[in-house]
Amino acid sequence: MAKIKNLKGLMIPITDYPHMPYWATLEEAVVLLNFSYETAHDTILVFDESYRLMGVLEQKEILRDIHPGFSKLSLEKVSDKWEKLILTHNLDQLKKPIKDFITPFNIIVDVEDHVLKAAHLMLKHDIDLLPVKESENLAGVVKMHDIFHEIAAFILKS
Amino acid sequence: MRSLLSIFKKIKFKKADIPKASPPDRMSFKERYDCFQKLLADNNSILETQADMEEKLSGDYIFDMHYVDSRCDILVEKVQSVIENLNSLSNGEYRGLYDAFEKINSVIKDSLIKNIEIPVTDFTIPFEDVTKDMVRSVGGKNANLGEIKNRLNLPVPEGFCISSHAFKRFMDYNELGDKINISSVDTDSLVELTRVSKAVQNLVLNATVPPDLEKSILDAALKLKRKADLRAGGFYASVRSSAIHEDAQFTFAGQYKTALNVAPEDVVSAYVEIIASLFTSRAIFYCKSKGFHVEDMVMAVGVVEMIDAKASGVVYSRDPTDESKRGIIINGVWGLGKYVVDGIVKPHTYVVSRDIPMPILEKNQPVQPFMLICGLEGGAIDVRVPDYIRRMPCLTDEQVTTLAGYALVLEKHYGKPQDIEWALDLNDNLLILQARPLRIVAEKRSMPVPRSLPGRKILINKGQIACKGVGAGKVHFVTKDEELKSFPEGAVLVARHTSTRFVTAMNKAGAIIADVGSPIGHMASIAREYGVPTILNTEIAMKTLKASQEITVDAINGNIYEGRIEQLVEAGKKDNTFKDTAKDTAVFEVLRGVLQSIVPLNLIYPEDEKFSPQYCETFHDITRFAHEMAMNEMFKLGKGAHQRKGGAVKLVVKLPLDIRVIDLGGGVENRSDKITVDNIACIPMKALLKGMMAIEWPGPPPVNVKGLLSVIASTAMQPNSEQSLSEPSFAVLSREYMNFSIRLGYHLQTLEAYAGERINDNYIRFLFKGGGASHDRRARRTRLIKEILEKIDFHVDRTGDVLDGRVTKYDRTSIEKKLGVMAKLTAFTKQLDMTLFNDAVVDWYIKEFIKKHYVE
Repeated sequence: MAKIKNLKGLMIPITDYPHMPYWATLEEAVVLLNFSYETAHDTILVFDESYRLMGVLEQKEILRDIHPGFSKLSLEKVSDKWEKLILTHNLDQLKKPIKDFITPFNIIVDVEDHVLKAAHLMLKHDIDLLPVKESENLAGVVKMHDIFHEIAAFILKS
Repeated sequence: MRSLLSIFKKIKFKKADIPKASPPDRMSFKERYDCFQKLLADNNSILETQADMEEKLSGDYIFDMHYVDSRCDILVEKVQSVIENLNSLSNGEYRGLYDAFEKINSVIKDSLIKNIEIPVTDFTIPFEDVTKDMVRSVGGKNANLGEIKNRLNLPVPEGFCISSHAFKRFMDYNELGDKINISSVDTDSLVELTRVSKAVQNLVLNATVPPDLEKSILDAALKLKRKADLRAGGFYASVRSSAIHEDAQFTFAGQYKTALNVAPEDVVSAYVEIIASLFTSRAIFYCKSKGFHVEDMVMAVGVVEMIDAKASGVVYSRDPTDESKRGIIINGVWGLGKYVVDGIVKPHTYVVSRDIPMPILEKNQPVQPFMLICGLEGGAIDVRVPDYIRRMPCLTDEQVTTLAGYALVLEKHYGKPQDIEWALDLNDNLLILQARPLRIVAEKRSMPVPRSLPGRKILINKGQIACKGVGAGKVHFVTKDEELKSFPEGAVLVARHTSTRFVTAMNKAGAIIADVGSPIGHMASIAREYGVPTILNTEIAMKTLKASQEITVDAINGNIYEGRIEQLVEAGKKDNTFKDTAKDTAVFEVLRGVLQSIVPLNLIYPEDEKFSPQYCETFHDITRFAHEMAMNEMFKLGKGAHQRKGGAVKLVVKLPLDIRVIDLGGGVENRSDKITVDNIACIPMKALLKGMMAIEWPGPPPVNVKGLLSVIASTAMQPNSEQSLSEPSFAVLSREYMNFSIRLGYHLQTLEAYAGERINDNYIRFLFKGGGASHDRRARRTRLIKEILEKIDFHVDRTGDVLDGRVTKYDRTSIEKKLGVMAKLTAFTKQLDMTLFNDAVVDWYIKEFIKKHYVE
C-alpha cells in the first residue's frame, strides 16, 4: 500500500502562478500568458480587490473572446491568414476587462487532501485545475497535468 | 551701523531660552503648518540674501560695510527663526542646530569685527630700527620707508615713527575710544558726515597729550635736530600719517593730513592734528565705505626731516593704465611734491625704458606757473616759479635714470609695481619719501570700444586717462566742496583740478573729468579703486562743457562725446576694470570672509549619515538641513490625520476612494455642509483630482461571478490588512500644500506636494509601500513606479516594496503637470502587483503607461 499522498507536494503556490485582478483587460491577459509561456502555465487566476479568488481565465476562453464567432465557423471557412483572426473589432475586444470571461471555481480542495480526491473532483466536474486552500486561505492550485503524472508513476511502479 | 557687539548680544541665545515647543500631537495641524510656512519664507529670504551677497562679489557693485553688516543681521535673524520653527514642528528634535548656529555665528562675528591688535612698543621708534614687518607698530608708510632705508639702502630722509602704541596711549589717556562713535553715521549725507567729523576732530584736538608721550616725541625730535645741526642748517620736520591699513593693502591715498615744515617744538601739536585728521569726513566716509570699523582706525605717524625740495614728484614703475607697457613713468614739479599728487599743476613727465641702459623714451615739460616751497617760518607757501627755471626740466637725464633704477629695485624687492614719491634736495640728492604698491587697472575687455564713433560729435579729445571705462551722464561742475553735497546720482563730475574730496561723490559719479590733474595723483588712484571712468588734464572741459549737458566719457580712447551713447556705455560695461580693482578692497575681504561661513554647502545628500546638525558648517547647511527635516515633519502629518480624525470632512467625488479633507486654511473655499471637488482650492489637490477623474478606474466586480469569495490569497493575509482596505484616505490641505495619504487596496501611498509661486518652495514627495501580492511582485511594482517617476524627474529611493520619491524646485505649472501624471499612476498601479508575474511583464507595463499617460 502506498503511503498517503496529499496535495502539498503537487500544489503550485499562488506566488508562482499568473494572476490578475478582474479589471485587467484581455490584452493584459494575453501579455501575461505570453510572458509566462516558459512556465507552461496556461491559465490565469482572477481575484477581486480584496484578493479573493473569483475564477480562472483559460487560453481557449481568451481566443473565443477575441473572436467570438471563430469557433462557430465551418471548417472550410477558417482562413489561413493571421489577419483574419485579428480584425479591428477584435482589437476593441482586447480592451475589455477579463471579468466577463472568467470561469468561477465552485469547489476547492485542502492542501491535506489526498491526490485521488483531487483527481476525483476533476473528473467529476470536468476541470483541469483546482484551487487549494491551507488554513482557510488560498495557498495555490493543482493541475490535472501533475495529478496524472503522480497516478501514472504509481501505475508503472505497480 | 549699529554696534556689532549689541547686535550679537541680542542674537545670542542660550539653549535654556529656546521656546518650548508643544508636542506635535498637541499642536494643531494649523499651528504646524504655520511653522512650516514661516520656515519656507525664511528659507527663501536666506537664499535670496545669500545670492545677493554673492552677486556683490562679482565686482559689479559698490557696497559698504553697512551692507555687509545688515545682510549678516538678516541672515542671523532668519536662520535663528528657521531653527526655532523646525524645533516647534518636531518637538525640539533638532536642538543640535542651536550649537551649530552658535559655532558658525561666532566665526562670522569674528570676521566682521577684526580689531587691530596693537603691539606694545616704545612711543617713538627711529627709522633705523624699522622694517616692513612692523606695519602694526608704525603703519604701512613708515614700515616701507624703514624697509627701503635698512634693507635696500636707498636714500631716505632721517626720521622716527610715533607708534600705534603711542596712539593707543593718547586715545586711552583721553578716553576717546568711548567718546567717539561713528557707527551710526549715514555716509550718503555729506552734512551728517561733516557734522560728526567736526565733533570727533574737536574731541581729538582738545585732548591732552599724555606727559610721557609728549616727552618721548620731543626728545626724539630734538635728537633729530641735533643731528641736523651737526650737518649744518636748521631742522624742520614733515609730520605725516601712517595709518595701520594705509598703503599696505588699501589706498587711503591722501585721506589724512600731512604737516610740512614743522619746527621741532611744534611736532607734538602737529601730531595731534594728524591724529584728528583720521576723522575727517572724507576719511570717515572712506573708512566706512571700504569696510573698516572705528576700532580699525589706528594711526601711527612719521616724523621725517623736511626736505627743502628743489623738485619732487612721483614714479610709477609701470603704466598704471596699462601694465603691458614697458615704460617707467616719472612725474615731477619744481618745489614740493604736493602739487603733483594733488593734481594742482601739470607735472613734467618722463617715460623711461625698463630695459638696460634704460633710455628715456618720452619727455614732456610743460611750463610750471606756481610751486610750493618751505616757508621760512614753517609751513609751505605757494610762489611763482622763478623765470630762470620755469621752462627748465626739473630733473637731469641722469637723475631721471637714477630714479628709474630705484623704481626697478623697489619693484623687484616688493614683487609688484610700485608707486614712489621722491624729492631732490638743495644739494641735488635724490631721496625716496614713500613707496607703495601701484594700483593697476586691469586690461581685460571682451568687447572693444570703438576708437571714435563716426557721426557723433566729439567735444573734447585730449587729456590723460586715469581710470579706464565708459560713463555717461549730465555735467555737474564742482568748484567748491559744497557742490559735492548735492552731487546728483549718475552725473559726470567736471572740475578744474582733481581733489581727494571727490571720494564722497564716487559712489554716485558716472565719470570724472578734470582740466588739470595727473593719472598718478591720489584722486586718480581712488577713482580706479571705485572704478569711475576718469579723464584728467583735459584743459578745456570747464569752458567747453555746459552744466547739465548730457555727455559720454569714453575713458578708454580718451574722447568726450556730446549726448548719451548707449553703444559706448554698453561696450564699456564689458570692461572688467572695476571688477578686478574693487575686489582688492577691505570690504570685499570682509564679505568674502563672512560668506565662507554662509554660502558653501556641505550637507548635500539627505541619505548621508553626515546629514545632521553636527556637520552643519555654514548657514546654508543649517537652512538646507532644516528645510529637509521640516518637509519630513510635514510628511508625517498624514499619519497624524489617521490618528486624529476630528475636523475631517468627506469629499463628495466620483472616485472609488473615500477621501476625508482637513483644511489648514485656504485649501477649501465656499463650502457649505459638504465638500465637493469644486470647493477644493488647494492647487496640488486640484491638479491631482483632475488627473484622477480623467482616467477610468476599475469597475465593480461582475455580479454573476460569486465563486469562492471567502478564499483570500495567503499573500494578502498580513496583520490589519483587512482593516486598511476599509480605511478612508485623508487629505490635509492648504492653498499651496497637500498631504494626501491614500489607502488603495493593500498598499499605502502618501503624496505630499507644495505648489506655490516660489520655485524654491515647491516639491512633490511620494511614499509608497506594501501591497497584497507576494513580496517579489510588490517589489516589481515599486520598480515600475520608480522608473516612471524618474521619467518625470523624480529622485527615487527604493528598497523592496518601499519607495520614496521626490522632486523639488519646479515651477507651479510643472508641479501640477507632474501631479496629473501621478494621479494616473495611482490608478494604473492599483493592485498591479498581483499581475507582475515577472520582469518582462513589468517592462511591458512601463511602456504601456508611458504610451498611454505620460506626456513628454
